[in-house]
Amino acid sequence: MRCGRAQKLLTAAVDGELSPGRRAALDRHLAGCPVCRAERAATQSVLDALDALPMVAAVPAALEQATLRRVRVLAAEEAERTARSGWRAWLPLPALAVTAVLVLAIAITRTADDRIPTSGARSPERIARAHPAQSHPNSAVAVAPPAEPPPALAAAPELFVDLPMLRNLDKVKHFEAIRTTTLDDETPSGEEAPSNG
Amino acid sequence: MRRLVLLLALALAVPAAAQWGGRPWHQLTPEEQQRAWQNYQRYQQLPQQRQQMLERRYRQFQALPPQEQQRLRQNYDAYRGLDPGQKRQFDEKYHRWKSGRPR
Repeated sequence: MRCGRAQKLLTAAVDGELSPGRRAALDRHLAGCPVCRAERAATQSVLDALDALPMVAAVPAALEQATLRRVRVLAAEEAERTARSGWRAWLPLPALAVTAVLVLAIAITRTADDRIPTSGARSPERIARAHPAQSHPNSAVAVAPPAEPPPALAAAPELFVDLPMLRNLDKVKHFEAIRTTTLDDETPSGEEAPSNG
Repeated sequence: MRRLVLLLALALAVPAAAQWGGRPWHQLTPEEQQRAWQNYQRYQQLPQQRQQMLERRYRQFQALPPQEQQRLRQNYDAYRGLDPGQKRQFDEKYHRWKSGRPR
């Protein structure tokens, strides 16, 4: 097996979705290929981290533009003031940087406040309690959905509602058969465990 | 203007949702919208191959009869309810079961 082929199979391998034959072929390749082994570790960590992704507040483009406009206006005002008072020529750069950071921080804070309702059924905390397994505990900021969802989300919203189930579809389809499968170190149900004495 | 854009987005979204099957966005409950939004953001982090696989599974799921969809949802609820130890054992069993399953 070549590296290109192996790397195409890595995601499926990490999710345990390869046939035993392909799995064995991939394992043989990985045993002799450090590059693909590293790639597998990276894929594994990405998928593991997927459920643990913190919810980061996205800054809307309009806010970003408004903030930059404000910074430009402040910069122009600062430049004008500097021209009038020569001895303060060293001041503008740090002052501008501090102003820009403050404006951006205030704007983000205000946006986050606007987007998280303070009461009612859409409270993120309330949703997190209602769906404990689907809201990660590390989701410090659960951003409310936008009024206008992105096209992909609007096109198939239930795909995203059911995403965790779809990810485990094979397990869910054969849940009972899997549950009644016995492992080597497990006593089949209804039989007593062998005694050591 | 904003209302016009919203109406236009809805007008485009409803036929698209009909094409995929399932309810359109505005028919989801607020909780479902929140969940969909969070999962959408996670989905965006996935490799394209993985996204396509999930879309295929969604189409398969939508094509199932309602009773079967209900059964799978119940199974998922049961799977989600397993504690970490039970889940680990279930996953081991899954691999055992899968390797012995006729293909």
